[in-house]
Amino acid sequence: MFEIGRLCVKIAGRDARKKAIIIDVIDNNYVLIDGETRRRKCNINHIEPLNKVLKLKKNLSHKDVVELFKKELDIEIPDKKSRPKSDRPRKIRKTKLKKEEPQPEKPEEKPELKQPELKKELKKEKKETKKPAKANQKTIKEKKIKKAKKKN
Amino acid sequence: MPEGRLKSRTFRRIKKKLPGGKTVLHYKKRQPSRAKCGKCGSILKGVEIAQPKKIQKMTKTKKRPERPFGGVLCSKCLREKTKKEARV
Repeated sequence: MFEIGRLCVKIAGRDARKKAIIIDVIDNNYVLIDGETRRRKCNINHIEPLNKVLKLKKNLSHKDVVELFKKELDIEIPDKKSRPKSDRPRKIRKTKLKKEEPQPEKPEEKPELKQPELKKELKKEKKETKKPAKANQKTIKEKKIKKAKKKN
Repeated sequence: MPEGRLKSRTFRRIKKKLPGGKTVLHYKKRQPSRAKCGKCGSILKGVEIAQPKKIQKMTKTKKRPERPFGGVLCSKCLREKTKKEARV
């Protein structure tokens, strides 16, 4: 009943109701099948034989099986290759976009100086800031003294 | 005293022990009935039973077996059906 080239239908599993050809007989209970189903070892109890028997060589390749199905049975078997990942459009969450948009531009940082140079610069700044204040005070004092002299 | 709507037996009553040692009654909705085969009426395997809210969150593979008529017919009825179709 289950000889090489017998057309059959799978009854059980995710390939159920799909047609396949027996390519090899492994055991009393198991056969190798290929066709609309995946190429796989299969229990005889999970197959229902049909009337047709095709003439085959033992262990046909999957390509030849696809051609045979097209010629003899008018069944086209599509290639099941995984798509390249770049073609798949991916959704971007809105929350992520919001975070990315309002990025304030960072102020330009001054080139880092070594510590001794930094100290020198800081000292210079201090001196510049202090000097004018003292000068102002002196000028104010002098003006007061002049006024006092004039009055006398 | 429980609320009026909780007095009916539509809710399941579960006794819970609190950390302080008190026992309290909790009211829970009953589970829906199991999915059955459309042809023979036997209980389907591989189909999850839960409140519809929880089922919404589940993946497809958890909700039904991955074969044609999965979640509708049992495996025996599918075999008979395909055999009949093949023999005609």
